[in-house]
Parts: sequence; structure tokens; C-alpha cells
Amino acid sequence: MSDAASPDITPAAAGAPATATAGGATQETTTVVEFTQVGKTYDTGYTAIKDVTFRVDDVPGHMEIVGILGPSGCGKSTVLRLIAGLTPQHPATTGIVKVMGKPVEAPGADRGFVFQDYTSFDHRTVEQNIAFGLECRGTPANERLELARDWIQKVGLDVKRDADKYPHELSGGMRQRVALARTLVLKPRVILMDEPFGALDPKTRYAMQDQLVALSREVQATVFLVTHSIEEAVYVGDRLFVFSNAPGTILQEMSIPAPDRPARVMQREPDFLDIVFSVRDLVEGLEMSDRAGT
Amino acid sequence: MAPLPLLALRATPSLPVRQAAGGVAIVLVLLAWYLLTSGATPEARAISPSVFPSPGEVIKGFPSLVTERNLVGGIAASLNRVFLGFGLALLVAIPLGIVAGSFRLFGAAAQPISLFGRTIPVAALLPLSLQMFGIGELQKVMFIFLATAPFIFHDTARAIVGVEDRYVDTARTLGASSSHVMAKVLIPLALPDIYALIRAMFGIAFGYIMLAEVVDAGAGLGYILLQSQRRGMPEHLVGTLFVISALAYGIDALFRFFERGFFPYRRSHE
Repeated sequence: MSDAASPDITPAAAGAPATATAGGATQETTTVVEFTQVGKTYDTGYTAIKDVTFRVDDVPGHMEIVGILGPSGCGKSTVLRLIAGLTPQHPATTGIVKVMGKPVEAPGADRGFVFQDYTSFDHRTVEQNIAFGLECRGTPANERLELARDWIQKVGLDVKRDADKYPHELSGGMRQRVALARTLVLKPRVILMDEPFGALDPKTRYAMQDQLVALSREVQATVFLVTHSIEEAVYVGDRLFVFSNAPGTILQEMSIPAPDRPARVMQREPDFLDIVFSVRDLVEGLEMSDRAGT
Repeated sequence: MAPLPLLALRATPSLPVRQAAGGVAIVLVLLAWYLLTSGATPEARAISPSVFPSPGEVIKGFPSLVTERNLVGGIAASLNRVFLGFGLALLVAIPLGIVAGSFRLFGAAAQPISLFGRTIPVAALLPLSLQMFGIGELQKVMFIFLATAPFIFHDTARAIVGVEDRYVDTARTLGASSSHVMAKVLIPLALPDIYALIRAMFGIAFGYIMLAEVVDAGAGLGYILLQSQRRGMPEHLVGTLFVISALAYGIDALFRFFERGFFPYRRSHE
């Protein structure tokens, strides 16, 4: 499994830290996120992921979107939260999680996170929600207002109509647009998305997928997108990680064509559907063999 | 035959019907009160005037309640004690509750003490407050403080703990420091709940002060109640009860009014 992910890292059961140190010097400038034999076992004894190894490089001018697929409870979210540095998933029990060559120690604005659950701050307007991170960063008020309004527009909301609305006045799709804007305004290096469009209707979902592709290219961020929808992963992703059942590990890694047409057009085309079906067969096959093997 | 729709289990009547039901109940109680206390002579009344006054007597006694018994001064004295004791409890217990809710170790440390304070019946604190603070104003104020602070502390901590992790996680990934999380996320998101607990606790504190005022108060609504009973003036006693109820309702209405202004982002009010 680990050999499929990252051939230039020597798998070493006991010597993982040594491997990482040795590799660190040369990968510092080229690798955005790197997992080296990462495992997470909770105090309760439950193992969420084991032996997860992958590397996502920084290719100038081409920021990757990585789709993460797998059965429920396979530790997909654990992977995202480890990159973000969020407890209790962080720290990993075994292995090393590195972002931009440095081990992850705590959450930071360089790794934005968009959750499935709506997390707009209820007491802040749309504008104030989007300005939250800038406020923490100490950006002057007028500057952050300007940036926030800029991003209200970029995610497809209307400054005049929506800027002063409170979250309870927004639809699910609008809330996720706010969440996206709130993250992107900080120009994160990595965007972590955990089923962000899971609760949206298909039409809104397509629109959000297109927005995500366009905007992540604009801010030059590497995106990790956890999703249950194979169509979504295949459409949005440049690369797919397929996870096994718990304890989760990467069963298959594959490259797929990047999206170059609107979601609702491309996702109806036979070529696209061929890929979806082959991925679906693969996922189901891998799941079955995994179950048979354990 | 089908049951009447209004009497079906958990059926919700329309607002006018509900209001009419409340009005009918009031009229029935007043009617029963009137009938039980009416009669040409005291002997002819089902309930003796020395036990319970008639509605007419309460209304007739009201002017003297205001002038001779200094009702307004009594209201001011009682409210003043509640404001001081309750205000002190807010000043002490809310910051401590915020700390206990934000840093779980402090919360765990405070848990047994808070439990002790909350399980003691409030009337049982009365002798201790007399022992510690004498029988003057200080005792009244400290009694309110002792009776309400443990609850305010506990509920504030719970409101902070109740802020869901996803908000904290989100703030962290947007670059918020611990103090940012406290000031910009935990406290503002818990504030509506804290306000609601203040509102509820103030109503309770207003009730507690009557208890403290039965001990050598010199002034206050509780004092008026006790004196009316001792002097055999049941019309003042009952009249004061109506005033207390109206006052409590008025204060609560004020809290509700400000709630709307403070928290425009709350989805619903009532």
C-alpha cells in the first residue's frame, strides 16, 4: 500500500522518524503534504487509520485537488484533521505528518478547513464571518472589510444583499459559500474539505464544485476533498485516494483528468461516466477484497 | 363519536383560544374568591375576613398600602438588595464560570464545591448568613449572593462547555489563538445562554429576598408581608402578593425586551 503511494520513501517500520529526517532536507521546497506511515489509535483502543503514506507535491502553476474516497468511518476525516493539527486526531500515534516540510504541531491559517456541518459564527454577519481570520491576524478594519466584500462576490454572494445578513438568514448553500470565502480570504496553502457539499441539493452542489475548482486555482492552494460522491471526487480531483475500511489505509492512488468544463456538463458526458464507473468498480472491488482478507 | 378536537391529546389550540382559556380560569378563581369571602357580616362569610380578605377589601386597602405602609419604599429596598447581591454574584460567578468552562481542569476542580453550593436548600443558608453577616443590610445582600452565585457559576460554565467543538476547530484553522477563541468564539456564542440564565436566576433571586426580609428587615416587600400578617391586615398581605407578582412579571418582560436588542442573530424569541 505504501509502495503504491510514494515509491521514493523507504518504508521503515521502526525507523520512520529517521526516514523523514533524511528525506526532509530535499523535500522541503517541493512537498506540500507528506504522510509517512501515519497511524492513529485512540485511548479507547480504536484504530482509525494505519500505515498511511502519501506525498502531494507542489507543482508550480498546477495546484492539485486530491479527492479522498472510502467507506464510512474509514478515517478519511482523520487524515484531514491530522493535516489541520486538530485534536483529538492530532497528534498521530505513529508516523509523521508534515506540511511544507515541517511536522504539524498545531492548527494554523495556512491550512484552511471547510466542514460539512455549518460552522458560521451565529453572532457575526456574513461580512464579519469572512473577516474573522483577518481580524485574528490583526489586519486593519478597513482593509479586512474590503477583502471580505471582495470574497463575498467571488463566492457568488451579493455584497448589498448578503453582507449584513446573519447565518440564520442563509440557506445551506450560502452558508458553505461563506465558509469557503472565510477560508480562502486568508490565502491558505492547503484547503481541507470534509464533505463540504454533502448537505446541498444537486444544482447547488454543481455550482459549488465549479466555484471550488476556480477559486482554489486562483489562490494557488492544494485541496484535499473528502467526499462520499464518486462523481464529485472524479470531477473535482486531479488525483484520488481510495481508502479501505477501518483501520483506514490508502488502497489505491490514481490520477484522473482535471475538470475543464462546468460540473453539470462534464458530469453527464459518457467519458466522465466511464471513469466514474471504473472507479466505482475499483472501490467496491477493493472493499470486498479487503473484507475478505481480514 | 370522535373526541372534541380541542381536547385531543397534545392538540394545540389557536392563540385566541389559549388566551380565552386563561381568561376563563382567572374569572373562575376570582369568582370563587368573591363567593367564599362575600357576606353581610363576618360570620356569614365562608372564609372569615381575619383569614382571607375579599377582593373588594384588597382593592380598598391598596391606597393605605401605598401611603401608610410605604409600598414604593419597600419595592425600592427589596430591589436594591437583590441588585446588590445578584450583581455581586454576577461579577464573581460569571468570570469564574467562563474560566471553568474554558479550561476544563479548573472546571473539574470547582465541580465539588459548586455541587455543594447548589445542593444546599436556600432556606438552610439563612441561619449561616445571619451568623456570618449579622442581621443588617449586609446579611440580606450576602444571602442573595450565596444563594445565586453557585448556580450562576455552574450554568455559565455549562454554557461555555456547550459551545460545539466545530466552532472552536473552525476558529483554530482560521488562525485564532486561545485568547481569540475565548473572546471571539466561546464567550459570544455562549452569551445568549448566559443571558437566559441571568434572566431566570434574577427571578429566583427576587423570590429569595422575601425569605431574607422576614428577619428584622426594617423595609422591603418581605417586611411588609410579615408586618401585615402580624398586625392582622390580610388585605395588605394579599395586595402585596399581587404587587410582587406584577413586579416579577414586569422585570422579566424587561429582560425579554432587551434580549431582542442584544441578540438580533437568534433565530427565535419565545
